[in-house]
Amino acid sequence: MKSLLKNGLLAAAGMALVASTGSAVASPYKPYEGTTLVVSWPSNAHFNAAQPLVEQFTEETGIEVEVDYLQYLKLRDRQLLEMSKPTGEYDVVAWVVMWKGEYVNKGLLTPLSEMYTNAGLVDPDYDINDVADAYLQNGGVVGGERGYLPGKSGGLYGIPFGAETSILAYRKDIFEEQGIEVPTTYDELRAAMETLHAAGIPALTSRGATGHQVTAAWLFHLAPLGGRVFDEKWNPVVNSPESVEAAAFLRDVVRTGPVGIPAFGFGDAVTAFLQGDAAIYLDSLKIAAMSRDPSRSKIDGKVGFALHPEGTRCGSETGGFALGIPDNSKNKEAAFLFIQYMTSKAGDQKMVDLGGDPVRISTLQNNADRFPEYSVVADQLPCADPDWRPLIPEWNELNVDVLGQALTRVITTDDPIQPIMDDANEKIRAIMEREGYYVWN
Amino acid sequence: MTATTAGETTLGKKPRIEPGLLSPYMFITPAVLIMVGGLLYPVVMAFYLSFYDWEIGRELQDAPFVSFDHFVRMINDPQVWEVLWVTLRFGFWVITIEMTLGIALALLLEKPIRGASVFRTIFILPLMVSPVVVGLIWRYLFDARIGWINYYLGAWFGIEPLVWLGDPQLAFFAIVFTDIWQWTPFIFIIIIAGLQALPSEVIEASDIDGANWWQQILLVKLPMIRSIIIIALLMRLIDVFRGLEVMLIMTGGGPGRSTELLSLHIYNRAFETQQLGYASAISVLLIVVVFGLSLAILNMANPMKTRSDV
Repeated sequence: MKSLLKNGLLAAAGMALVASTGSAVASPYKPYEGTTLVVSWPSNAHFNAAQPLVEQFTEETGIEVEVDYLQYLKLRDRQLLEMSKPTGEYDVVAWVVMWKGEYVNKGLLTPLSEMYTNAGLVDPDYDINDVADAYLQNGGVVGGERGYLPGKSGGLYGIPFGAETSILAYRKDIFEEQGIEVPTTYDELRAAMETLHAAGIPALTSRGATGHQVTAAWLFHLAPLGGRVFDEKWNPVVNSPESVEAAAFLRDVVRTGPVGIPAFGFGDAVTAFLQGDAAIYLDSLKIAAMSRDPSRSKIDGKVGFALHPEGTRCGSETGGFALGIPDNSKNKEAAFLFIQYMTSKAGDQKMVDLGGDPVRISTLQNNADRFPEYSVVADQLPCADPDWRPLIPEWNELNVDVLGQALTRVITTDDPIQPIMDDANEKIRAIMEREGYYVWN
Repeated sequence: MTATTAGETTLGKKPRIEPGLLSPYMFITPAVLIMVGGLLYPVVMAFYLSFYDWEIGRELQDAPFVSFDHFVRMINDPQVWEVLWVTLRFGFWVITIEMTLGIALALLLEKPIRGASVFRTIFILPLMVSPVVVGLIWRYLFDARIGWINYYLGAWFGIEPLVWLGDPQLAFFAIVFTDIWQWTPFIFIIIIAGLQALPSEVIEASDIDGANWWQQILLVKLPMIRSIIIIALLMRLIDVFRGLEVMLIMTGGGPGRSTELLSLHIYNRAFETQQLGYASAISVLLIVVVFGLSLAILNMANPMKTRSDV
C-alpha cells in the first residue's frame, strides 16, 4: 500500500514535469505565467477600447495585467517619477511621441534591441515591416537624425499603439447644400471656409487654448504650407513667411470657425464638430471612430473623409502613442510579450473590431471596405511628416511658454502677426542658446 | 475597579515629579513635530531646490548646483512679474468684493428673520464644492458654444455669444466671478459667527443710547468683530496666492497669461516645462510676498495682540 502510494506520487510528479516542460516548449508565455504586469496608459477612446484585448492576453498567456489609466497629459509626470526610482511600478508605459526624446535622454527606457536578440521572445510571424513606417519611426525610434527623426544613429525603444496622423473630415450634407467641393489644397480650404462663413455656418473647428493646444493647431498648417520651427542648424525660423502665413491662416480659422476656439482643447474642438457646430475638421484621424459613436455624435452618416490639404507640399501630423518598457521594470520579457501581442497582426485586427485605430498597413487594407476613412489614412501615411514638430527635450518649454503665448496673441488680437512671431523667434533662440545648441557653430 | 487602582497608583507617584515643568512641552511637541515635518521641511526644500537645476527623472544628487542663477533669472524674467501683477490684481478684486459682500450678507441675515437658516445653508453650499468641480461647473457655464451664460444673454438680451474663456479681459472677469461665488460664503460664515457671539448687552446699550442701524453697525458691531475680519482677510489673502485648481481647470492660465496666477505659473514651470529648480525659486518669491503682505496686515491690526491686551 505504502509503495503503491509512493509510486503513484512519483508518477504524478513525473507527469507534472512532462506537462510543464512540454508547455514550455509549446508556449513562449509559459515561463512568465503568473507574472503581473503594471501598464501605464492614457484614458482615451483607443486605449479604453483595448481593455478586452488585455483580458484576452491574460486568458491566453496567464500573465496578469493591471492597467493604470490617466488623462493623457498627466501621464508624463507620473511615468517620469516611476521610471526614475530604483524600482518602479510600471512594466509597460505608453508615451505621447513628443516625450520619447526626454525619456531616452534620461536613460529611462529599455532599448528593444535587448528583446529582439532573444529568439525565445520574438514571434516569427510578427512582421515589423507591416507596421506603418511613419508611426514606427515617429513613436519608437530615438537618436536618429536630429535626435528624433529616422536615421542610422537611431535605436528602437517603442512600438506604436494608438498612433495617428491628421486627415480632413467634412460634413457631406453641408458641402452639398453649399455647393462646395472637397478641398485638396490650402487655397481651396480657405475659399471653403469663407463660403461657409458667408452662409452663416461655422467652418473649421480647431484647438486654440493657450499653450500646446494652440501651438498644435498652428503646426498642423505649418508643415503643409512649407514652414518649419528650426532650420538645419537649429536656428528658429518661426518668423519666416511660411510660419506667418500659417499663423494668419489660424487667425482666419478662428474668425470663420465655431465660437470659442481660443478656449478649445482637443476635446472641445472635436465636440464642436460632433455636435454639428462646425462643418470641417482637420486634426487627428480619431475623429472617424468618434463620429460613429452615437453617444457622442449627432452627425453619424453625414461625415466624409479626405486627405489633409496640401499647401506647397503634403504634410500631415504624426502623433499619438507608442508602447515601451521602462529600464527599471523587473518584468521586461513579459512586458515585451505583452507589447508584441497587442501590436501583432491579430491584435491589430482585434483593436479595429473593438473600435480602436490600427497601426499596420495590412490591417488598413483588409478593413478598407468596412471603414471609409481607412483608404484615406493609407493614402495619407506616405505624407505623414515626422518633422512637423521638433521632438527635442526643450520642446515643452518652447511649445507652452513661447509659441503657445505668441499664437494666443495671434488669435485673440488684431495685432500684426510678423512682430509677434519675430519676438517668439528671439525667445526661442535665447532658450536654445541657454541649452547649448549653438556650441558647435 | 482596576481603573481606580491604577488611578490611585498614578496619584501616589504624582508628588515626586514636577508636572508643571514638563507638561507644556509635552503638549506642544506633537504640534511642533507637525509644523517641522509638514511646514518647515517643504519650505526648506524649496530653498534648497532653488539652488539646483533639477528635473523629474534624474537623481537629485546629480542635479547641477547653480548658485543664485535662478534668482537672477527670476528677477529678469518679465513673465514672473506679469503673473505676479495678475495675482495682485486678482487678489485685490476678489478680496474687496468678497469682504464687502460677505459682511453685508452676514449683517442682513444676522437677525432671526423667517427662513434665515435656509438662506444660510444655501449661501454656504459653494464652499462645500471641491475646487476642481467648481472649475468644471463654471467652465461649462462660461463655455462660448454651449454655456448657459451665453445662452441666456442671447435669449434675454440678444447679446451675441461671448468667448468668455478665450478673451483676456473676459477670462479674468470669469475667474474673479467664480472665486467670488465660491469664497464669499466663507467670509459670510466667519462674520456671522462673530456677530452672533457679540454680547447682547452692548447692542442693547447702544439701542438705549439711541444709535441708529448704521451707527450700530459702523460704530459698535464692526469694530467689535475687527479681529475676526482681519483673520478672514488674512486667510483669503493666503488662499489667493495658493489658488490653482479652479484656474487650471477653467482656463489653464490663458488666454496668454491673463489668468495665470503665481501658483499656477509655478505649477507650469515645475511640471509642464520640468524646471523644478527654477519653479522652487519662484516659490520662494511667493513665500516672501505672502509673508510681507501678512506682516503688513498684522501690523495694521494684530488680532492676537488685541486678544492679549484684553
